Amino acid sequence: MGYKKIFNVALGLTLMVTGVGASCVFASDPPPEGGAGSVAVRLFLTEGAVPADDPNAAVWNTIQPAEFKLAPQVHWPDRIQEVTVKSVNVRGIHNGQDLAMLLEYADPSEDAADAAAIEFMVGDKMAHFAHGQEMLQVEGGDVNIWYWKKEHGKATDMTAKGFKTLRPQENQNVSATGAWQDGIWRVVFSRPLQTGDEQDVQVTPGEWRNVAFAFWDGEIVDGAVKEKGSQKAVSSWWYFRAEPPPDNSIYGYVVLGIVLAAGFEFFLVRKIRRGNES
Amino acid sequence: MKGPLAKTAILLVGMYVFLKFVLPLVTAPLPASLIFLYLALTLASAMIFYTMSGGSLDEFMGPVGRFLTGSGQAGVAGTARILVFVVFPLLVGWQTYTRLAPSDMPPAENRTIHPAPPGEFVGLANPYPTTPENVMMGKGLYAAFCSPCHGANFDGKGPAAVGFNPPPANFSDPGTIAQLQESYLFWRIKKGGVGLPVEAMPWKSAMPRWEVELPDEWIWKIIMGEYDGAGQSPRTWEEEE
Ligand code: HEC
Repeated sequence: MGYKKIFNVALGLTLMVTGVGASCVFASDPPPEGGAGSVAVRLFLTEGAVPADDPNAAVWNTIQPAEFKLAPQVHWPDRIQEVTVKSVNVRGIHNGQDLAMLLEYADPSEDAADAAAIEFMVGDKMAHFAHGQEMLQVEGGDVNIWYWKKEHGKATDMTAKGFKTLRPQENQNVSATGAWQDGIWRVVFSRPLQTGDEQDVQVTPGEWRNVAFAFWDGEIVDGAVKEKGSQKAVSSWWYFRAEPPPDNSIYGYVVLGIVLAAGFEFFLVRKIRRGNES
Repeated sequence: MKGPLAKTAILLVGMYVFLKFVLPLVTAPLPASLIFLYLALTLASAMIFYTMSGGSLDEFMGPVGRFLTGSGQAGVAGTARILVFVVFPLLVGWQTYTRLAPSDMPPAENRTIHPAPPGEFVGLANPYPTTPENVMMGKGLYAAFCSPCHGANFDGKGPAAVGFNPPPANFSDPGTIAQLQESYLFWRIKKGGVGLPVEAMPWKSAMPRWEVELPDEWIWKIIMGEYDGAGQSPRTWEEEE
């Protein structure tokens, strides 16, 4: 019978494809890039309120910080070759509604012009970490910058797309509080995960997004503020994610996989047995 | 044959629609690799189920078939058979778990480090002769503009290198400028990180776009100083062919 042969060849092919498919699935992913320091901030899920304006809340001590090294801003003019803030510890928390991020860093003096900022990409378009500056082969998007300055005593929610375009937004959705003690600044930023404002980063639990940091030492040296404007300590993009709630559907999938594999075995054996009997 | 084929097709389409569209309504979407594995298992099962004659399958499978049905087996072979039967579904289950288990790490990003340059930069030659004066001038400009990131020793360990991901290139490493032509460097220095194509992730690069600050002449001389200082020489056209 011609059909039989065709069927057998087809079966053989299918088994081969299954094998190839399985080996693809079994191959493991390459490890993510990144040297010393952290690559990501995770905002841990909590029940109840987030410590939105308390840099010294006890809950912060229960969270493992991510550490990011900072560089003097030498990417574009005006540059600076030496900065005060060399690294930052970042902790994050959310409750499905609101998020809070704590930035902790060393700065020997408390000054009115001390400042800190967190930068995000907005929407799905990639944006350059330096204020969303123009890229030549890729159409870039906006960045959303959350800026805190000691003398303002609050956060400013800002937008930029390119150098010299940074401006405060119409809708201010971010709050921030800083506390300085013994040469350490602890600044907490908070915001709802979702704001409905298209100029803002929208945070969806489970989704990885990009984040970058900047700091200014506002100390007065020789009558001038030491770090201001583009003269600051910076990082380029790292990752952050609001942790998703635990997902139990994974066990359903495990059962489905086992049942499919066992069913495959059952049909295979049954068929061969029947063949043997006839 | 019409019946089984149609049924198999319906089964597969139904399974696909279920895995791809129905399940995501209630849970997270399944990775394509798992959908593929499940569909392949379903297809293989259906084909076996609908095979007209088991006898031909037996011929086809030969000793494997005898092993799987366990005919006339005892002892070690029998135990091995049970093991295979238990292990295979567990393996699929375990793979499903590791594929779907929530990961603490961001997704791996494969950044192309040396993408193709735009056409207008291919094959340009350095218009300045390699004289000691030019090399010296290039090294001086390098020290002023490049060393904060790429390091006074051309090793990518400048004082500003730590904050950036990807890190500034290490020119003394044979994997960077020694692999490249001078025209390629001219492109990279002139257009910087923002000039990279999408596969090289320009949004991440801290490499400045020097054309807005430095004249071409300086860039060509910096290239000379860079190769000399790093103890490397550019890749030439002859090597390329
Ligand atoms: C702000 C830090 C910074 C400064 C300053 C800087 N670079 Fe870079 N450079 C980088 C980074 C980061 C990379 C790696 C990412 C990339 O390829 O864009 C890089 C990559 C390069 C490459 C590509 C090497 C390769 O293997 O593809 C060249 C060439 C280069 N830089 C030359 C220079 C020269 C010449 C100067 C001075 C005129 C300079 N850079 C100044 C940060 C910098």
